[in-house]
Amino acid sequence: MIEVSKKCIGCSKCVPVCPFAAINMIDKKAVMTEACTLCGACVQVCPVQAITITREEGASRDLSGYKGVWVYVELSETGDKTHPKKIKQVTFELLSAGRRLADELGEELCAVLLTDKDHNYGKELGEYGADKVYMVEHDELFEYNTDIFSTVMVSLVTRHKPSVILYGATIQGRDLAPRVASTLYVGLTADCTALAIKDGLLLQSRPAFGGNIMADILAPNSRPQMATVRPNVMKMGEPVHGRSALVVRESAKLDKSLRRVKVLERKIAHDAAAVKIENSSVIVSGGRGMKTREKFKQLEELSKLLGGVVGASRAAVDLGFKEKTHQVGQSGTTVSPKLYLCFGISGAVQHIVGMKASDVIVAVNKDPNAPIFNVAKDGIVGDAHEIVPKLIEALKKRR
Amino acid sequence: MASMDAISRNLMLDSLREYAKRRIPFDLIRELDEKNEFPAQILKEMYDRDTLGVHLLMIPEEYGGVSGGTYDIYRICEALARIDLGIATGVFATFLGTDPLNVGGTEEQKEKWLKRIASENLLVAYAATEPDAGSDLVNLRTRAEHVVKNGKIAGYRITGNKQWISNGGVADMHTVLAMAPGGPCWFIVEKDMEGFSPNKHEDKHGIRLSNTAGLSLDNVYVPAENLIGMEEGKGLLQAQAVFGYTRVMVAAFGLGAGEEALEQAIRYSQQRIQGGGPLSDKQGYTHKLLVPNYVRMEGARAYIEYTALRLDSGEHGLQTEGAIAKYGASEWGNKAADDAIQALGGYGYTKDFPVEKIKRDIKITCIYEGTSEVLEMTIYRGRWQEHLKSRGRYYLDMADRLDQVHAEEPRAGAHAAALALRALAAVLEECRVQKLTRHQHVTFKLGRLICAAETAAIFSTAAAAKKYTETVRFDREGWQAMARVFAREAALNTALEGLALVLGAADQAGSLADAVNIEAVQAEQKGLIADMDLVAAKLKQTFKAK
Amino acid sequence: MHIAVMIKQVPDSTEVKINPETGTLIRAGVPSILNPYDHFALEAALELKKKHDFKVTVISMGPPQAKSVVQLALALGADEGVLLSDMAFAGSDTWATSYALAKGIRKIGKVDIIFCGMQAIDGDTAQTGPGVAQQLGIPQVTFCEHADVDGRRVLARKQIDGGHELLEARPPVLLTMIMGKDYAPQHPSFLAVNASLRKPFHVWTAADIGAEPQYLGLKGSPTQVNKIYPPPQREKAAMFSGSGQEGVEKIVEIMRGEHFIGE
Repeated sequence: MIEVSKKCIGCSKCVPVCPFAAINMIDKKAVMTEACTLCGACVQVCPVQAITITREEGASRDLSGYKGVWVYVELSETGDKTHPKKIKQVTFELLSAGRRLADELGEELCAVLLTDKDHNYGKELGEYGADKVYMVEHDELFEYNTDIFSTVMVSLVTRHKPSVILYGATIQGRDLAPRVASTLYVGLTADCTALAIKDGLLLQSRPAFGGNIMADILAPNSRPQMATVRPNVMKMGEPVHGRSALVVRESAKLDKSLRRVKVLERKIAHDAAAVKIENSSVIVSGGRGMKTREKFKQLEELSKLLGGVVGASRAAVDLGFKEKTHQVGQSGTTVSPKLYLCFGISGAVQHIVGMKASDVIVAVNKDPNAPIFNVAKDGIVGDAHEIVPKLIEALKKRR
Repeated sequence: MASMDAISRNLMLDSLREYAKRRIPFDLIRELDEKNEFPAQILKEMYDRDTLGVHLLMIPEEYGGVSGGTYDIYRICEALARIDLGIATGVFATFLGTDPLNVGGTEEQKEKWLKRIASENLLVAYAATEPDAGSDLVNLRTRAEHVVKNGKIAGYRITGNKQWISNGGVADMHTVLAMAPGGPCWFIVEKDMEGFSPNKHEDKHGIRLSNTAGLSLDNVYVPAENLIGMEEGKGLLQAQAVFGYTRVMVAAFGLGAGEEALEQAIRYSQQRIQGGGPLSDKQGYTHKLLVPNYVRMEGARAYIEYTALRLDSGEHGLQTEGAIAKYGASEWGNKAADDAIQALGGYGYTKDFPVEKIKRDIKITCIYEGTSEVLEMTIYRGRWQEHLKSRGRYYLDMADRLDQVHAEEPRAGAHAAALALRALAAVLEECRVQKLTRHQHVTFKLGRLICAAETAAIFSTAAAAKKYTETVRFDREGWQAMARVFAREAALNTALEGLALVLGAADQAGSLADAVNIEAVQAEQKGLIADMDLVAAKLKQTFKAK
Repeated sequence: MHIAVMIKQVPDSTEVKINPETGTLIRAGVPSILNPYDHFALEAALELKKKHDFKVTVISMGPPQAKSVVQLALALGADEGVLLSDMAFAGSDTWATSYALAKGIRKIGKVDIIFCGMQAIDGDTAQTGPGVAQQLGIPQVTFCEHADVDGRRVLARKQIDGGHELLEARPPVLLTMIMGKDYAPQHPSFLAVNASLRKPFHVWTAADIGAEPQYLGLKGSPTQVNKIYPPPQREKAAMFSGSGQEGVEKIVEIMRGEHFIGE
């Protein structure tokens, strides 16, 4: 329920901040329409605290006994026969983030590993900070399957009652986590850009409303508190050699009938030449300001000269300048290269959250007030159309 | 016809805009403009009932159309004008050409022709204008003579010339106005009838994507069932019955093209850095070239919507309202487009930027469907009657209603609008007392003052309303500031120009200076710059640089 | 077969602006659109309808004005439309939304395939699809580029890291669609819009679908928004002006300084 009390002075401050245009001033009093989603943006700006959102509590649940921070371990295929699978980097990033949370809570950090065959994964997981590894080894876990993996996860959670679970916001993590959350009736926050502990709860920060604004999310009344985090968002700590985790083997009753979706064919390009944008150390990116597809192409040449790959803003992808696989940002890929050189990108939050972790950001834009300059190390106010060809020429000369 | 539901209307608008985005890029428009070429393929697609079918808006559902009301047609016309006024004119000509059928056709005629227009995607032309008969249709020279068979009128032979007919050279069917023995009437003439031939496509200043041609009718035989209404002598009434809403359509053209030019200028002004900052931050630029123009366009919008909604609620005629809507939107739109060129400076003067073309295109809105001067006269004549009939109360009553609006919502400029209306009432009364309307100049100038003052009243009333219509793209604060700026200007111009008009025509103005209340009008200007600052900021927010 | 498509009305986030002084959203004048991912899902469903003559029902949850996306879907060819609209739904997070949508789909009746967009552009969570699948107890395939039906087999091509998988499932199954190359969003003709008004359209409340109030809205949502705030401002970049050669030289100098290129 949202209510506006008599205290409302009709100042209208809440009207423009409503992300859903759901507030009308009627007779000098704020009135919420049916478009209101109870997001609370107006509550914060009201100078006289006239707006309140009351939350009836659902049936209270027993939250005692939920302890420990879990990280879901994601494996990826390598294409190599002797070591067909390896742990994805995002898992180590999550272990580093999870370590801080566990320390603050004074609880254990546990990695959860579902696999058909153990390749001594526990060693690496321990080095990156896990205190414990829950390992389920079973033939039916030879490849990811929604039904089977979610069944195992749910049974592990029910058995061990963790307080927090982190997943990589990968294709696999984003398939699995909501399924688990839905079964357990617990909160899940997608694509968190920061995690912290506040009053014993997991405080999850993420961009909202198309990435134009930030929201802090809590899930106070259910356990575990679950979150997904994009690759390249959390800093990966250095592994500590010799640090080890206790490996706890868990059993699972699984059979083929659980597998309701079957893989008929899988095609993966284990192609070294196809450089992936998330792993590249240099990215040359362009946005709407590149104006045409042809002009955008010049960035390819520039990126080659710098030994990097091309990135694109959402606007550039929407305009058809570049394929979606090159999109950097909230709805594309999150990157953290050593150099991020961008042209004609104004810097919507949705883009910035996807590249702000880059070591050095150099931005070229016509508009001196473009928000991209707020995250760039160096900013050049100028016309990308003039600068790009000249820069290509200058770099060629230096060779 | 009542307008359709808002969701359907906006889905149609989205489809139209999406189509234009995909198929009509500026480069193509520019090329066609240069070549003076009619985009036959694009018009065909726009009329294709499976792709878009814009022409179906004017056709009732029972004949295969979608039964658009005036409000729907205004919205579509505005969207078309933002794409290209030449293409818009091609569509408009079909709307117009269909009109005599809608208004005066018999049930059988509607059944036959409206269904054909809908299902065969026919391009229609409206052929009224002649070398000696423009807005004044009385001097009609085209003749229709009886062809009698077995003692009955079997058909007509039409002979004459038509001039400046939109779609003239490309239409599949024409509704042609001709003088029959029983008086003027409309005939349906198909393009392949013997003796009918279009002349060459005109080389025009603007709307060069619209086909404009003269028509030669040399003893063209049309069967009697092609006489619209099956009765002679109804032609002029049929033509006039629709002026209210056909003029709303042209008003929407002026509004769409004018605002489009300004929005391009507003976006540009945020990127162009001069003297250390963007032009959009400089009052000398914004408060001259952008703010006053945009404010006037929004005033025109409010008046267009007011007229369209009245027509949709079943009122007929509204000739004076249609004239006010069109006169304001086209004259202010023309000025806005001119200032948009100025706002882009040297760039604006080149063909690389669309504002140059918009400026050439928009001029036509001051000419077709009644020139601005004919409209000044129409507006004056309509309201002068009201002034006399009400013994001078017409605008005083309107001002009283604005006072009520002001009492409920003091931020919508209703007080200034009331001042404008009272000043107008005083000027009209002084003209009556001193018999000044014997000067044609006085009457036309009064038409101009009436347009601004009434628009101010309607704009303030709309800005005070609890809920805005779907077209308002600003928040309350911004739109009310616009209404205030508009009403202040209207009050000042009505008082000062009205007084000057009377003084110029008579030896003395009596107590008119007191009656127009110059002091109050001047005091009302307080806060103008702050309001313009606010409007400039809102424009910048709404039309951010791309 | 009977296909259900879950769609959502969202603000066109490319048009959302931020007030630079206060850091808050400016919502006035921002148009509402059909979530672009859902538009692809709808096209995938309509293609199957054309090919196999299936029935397509669209379902959305939102305030009354969300009717416009349902009507758009009907104009594009869907047979029947449902809008779940009730103040009780306001404030629902992805869990509560999934719960309500699953209830709505149960009320629609026997459904063989459920399509939805991979995610909505206003939330980017990608949770509602899997949430509904779990609530209904049916399998899911997320991140699909393409869907087809062969007899009683549903075939989906799913995007995975560095490639794709071809997957098979038996109905009922839920598929979430990405914006791939196989489908192109269409826009309806005027006549189709007009005809959509005559197609069956229902508005269902929480009571209509038998949703229990304790699982809806804020009360039923495990997650809570604690705070909304503008993104943190960083220290401004070191700025240089110059479009021409100076700009180029500056970039070269910066990159040399950071050792991205040699001396």
